[in-house]
Amino acid sequence: MEGKHSIPNRLYLLTKIKELTRSLVEDLCNGRSPTLKIDQFTSYCSEDSGKCNQLRVTRGGFRLHLCSCCSYNLPKGKEILTLRRESQSRRFDALLRVLLIVQQLLQENKHGSKRDIYYMHPSVFKEQSVVDRAVNDICILLQCSRHNLNVVSVGNGLVMGWVRFAEAGRKFDCISSPNTAHQIPVYVEDVEDIISVAEYILIVEKESVFQRLANDQFCRKNRCIVITGRGYPDVPTRRFLHLLIEKLRLPVYCLVDCDPYGIDILATFRFGSMQMAYDAKSLRLPEIQWLGAFPSDCEKYQLPQHCLLPLTTEDKQKAEGILHRCYVEREAPSWRYELQLMLDRGVKFEIEALSVHSLTFLSENYLPSKIQMGAFI
Amino acid sequence: MGELSKNSILFSDQHLCHADILPPSEVRARIEVAILNFLKNLNSSNPEVTDLPLISRKMGNSRVRRGLLTDDSKIFLSHSFSTKSLMNENTANSFIRVWKVMEMCYQILVQEKKVTQRELFYKLLCDSPHYFTSQLQVNRTIQDLVALVRCSRYSLGIMASSRGAVAGRLLLQEPNQEIVDCSTCGSSGYVISGDLNLLENLVMKSDARYIIVVEKHAIFQRLAEDRVFNQIPCILITAKGYPDIGTSRLLLHRMSREFPELPILGLVDCTPVLYLISKKTTPSCNVKWLGLRKDDIEQLVPEESLIPLKPRDHQIAKSLSSSEILQDKYKEELSFMVQSGQRAEIEALYFHGFDFLAKYIGKKIVQADYI
Repeated sequence: MEGKHSIPNRLYLLTKIKELTRSLVEDLCNGRSPTLKIDQFTSYCSEDSGKCNQLRVTRGGFRLHLCSCCSYNLPKGKEILTLRRESQSRRFDALLRVLLIVQQLLQENKHGSKRDIYYMHPSVFKEQSVVDRAVNDICILLQCSRHNLNVVSVGNGLVMGWVRFAEAGRKFDCISSPNTAHQIPVYVEDVEDIISVAEYILIVEKESVFQRLANDQFCRKNRCIVITGRGYPDVPTRRFLHLLIEKLRLPVYCLVDCDPYGIDILATFRFGSMQMAYDAKSLRLPEIQWLGAFPSDCEKYQLPQHCLLPLTTEDKQKAEGILHRCYVEREAPSWRYELQLMLDRGVKFEIEALSVHSLTFLSENYLPSKIQMGAFI
Repeated sequence: MGELSKNSILFSDQHLCHADILPPSEVRARIEVAILNFLKNLNSSNPEVTDLPLISRKMGNSRVRRGLLTDDSKIFLSHSFSTKSLMNENTANSFIRVWKVMEMCYQILVQEKKVTQRELFYKLLCDSPHYFTSQLQVNRTIQDLVALVRCSRYSLGIMASSRGAVAGRLLLQEPNQEIVDCSTCGSSGYVISGDLNLLENLVMKSDARYIIVVEKHAIFQRLAEDRVFNQIPCILITAKGYPDIGTSRLLLHRMSREFPELPILGLVDCTPVLYLISKKTTPSCNVKWLGLRKDDIEQLVPEESLIPLKPRDHQIAKSLSSSEILQDKYKEELSFMVQSGQRAEIEALYFHGFDFLAKYIGKKIVQADYI
């Protein structure tokens, strides 16, 4: 999310914080109960699957019913916090305390994590989730992203392959040893001088698959950049990908397990998460294509029966949930077939199942042939 | 039966065992010797293999199991074996599982490749579905195999996962590469390579006076960002999570060999502390516990920041506190843990401000307040 400036810098945010506080104090001085208006965002809705933005008949004629929750820029509604209700006043209090800490971080140009902030006033916050919510609210109020507030987390992503870049003066030269993993820098705004000779970017869900590719020297024969978020990707990983795509304009393929969680991770990369819905514009990656593994790969690649595990009740619920998300119908209708196939068959499998007959099958057969054949959706 | 204790089928007859880090050819040799010994035994006039040392899965052995998972080059393995009779079907199955994993690892070593634990699970599942049903079972079998041939997991061809990082007053040079100055590596530090050979051949130079092991990467990042090594001449090393810190542990070993006069101080949370203390019973451990300790928790951590001990940690603390070999100072700390039933994360110190952590470490080091 961006405000009037394209990159909200520290000074700009500090000014905004002062303005916000001043308006609250003015309210108090004039005998008014201070309020905070917070926009609400969501990355998808599950009702009326695919029928957002459709004409609806209502009493008194036709009316255009816009499911505005599913637009990446527009908020779904506004929430108003006042001091009049006790539950809201606690949220107000938490927000102001976090704001104070954020102000300090920005003034000293230091960084802290949400956990660190929690520990500063544990008796007031009581729970980590209170801090998390306050941070999100502040981002929405100040119209910026979390990292602009100097609130960061530990980076979890890894990158290897044919790319070179610099971060705060330090060089990351993945090209000199393309099969060595490097950590994705946390301060993505400091990344610059990106140079690459890759033909595509490959995202893998799990670190173990990343390791398999490194062990097989995948990047030696394939000119690509391999990235993993080690599960659900964190914000620095998603921002880094966003930056790479913006600068390099390469095709992006995603390799996840053939199970509902894998597909949810794929959806997080492509459409963004609910948690960070307010920042979806800078975090989502619409260029991502699903390379595998598909339920239909079972037959094509003759996976042994023993590797097919049954879907649990939880798995089925999750898969149904994903099927009904409006963005699937709207933007990735080809995913529906495979998802439905998975549900119909009632089985799932992991990428490691492809290594059963030959450890190098993934790197030497599956991936190159899929990419060459264009077997991605 | 009595003869069996002299004829070791596998190597684990000695009381003091170590899990070595070896190159593939030597590991294959050990596996081959194990098989030959077994065949010899079967061929003998009295082919009885009724007793088999396997890792006893008691609570008190959890520190050993964790030690095995860390690929430590010297792990104190005695007192952890139990002999079970092969006439019992369950034990016979455990025995067969060990051989199947041994076979699989051998094949992988011949190919000069590595596998992940998950891949190994699927291979075994398809190869011998009758014997393997879960990842947990495979993991346990791997532990048994490590103990039996006394080779680390990594040597057997099973990839170690996590990554460690190092920052501070250390200059590293990989063969034929540029010198890396770890004090300018940014807040994520220099990522430690997963390549064993590379680690063994790294050239290191340092003017630090301390090595600080930080368990949590978040704390590492904070300290690296604050450039604490410019105020206190030190090297920061971390491993993401604990105990799976294969490569960090190797680098730490190398550093302690290279710079033997530098004390190694640990800034760790509760679970690894217990592991640390348990290692105090062996002479080779030289990591000293910096914090958070009893006095710190009482004086610096507000009530609300305390969290309950994990039940497993509670049990381990209890059983460790009754150990005879442990020194009093450790026993005091342990009994405090057990009595209060609570622990605190290092981040709790932020209650006193963001820059408190660096001051805390500095003060402790200056006062030599570590055990």
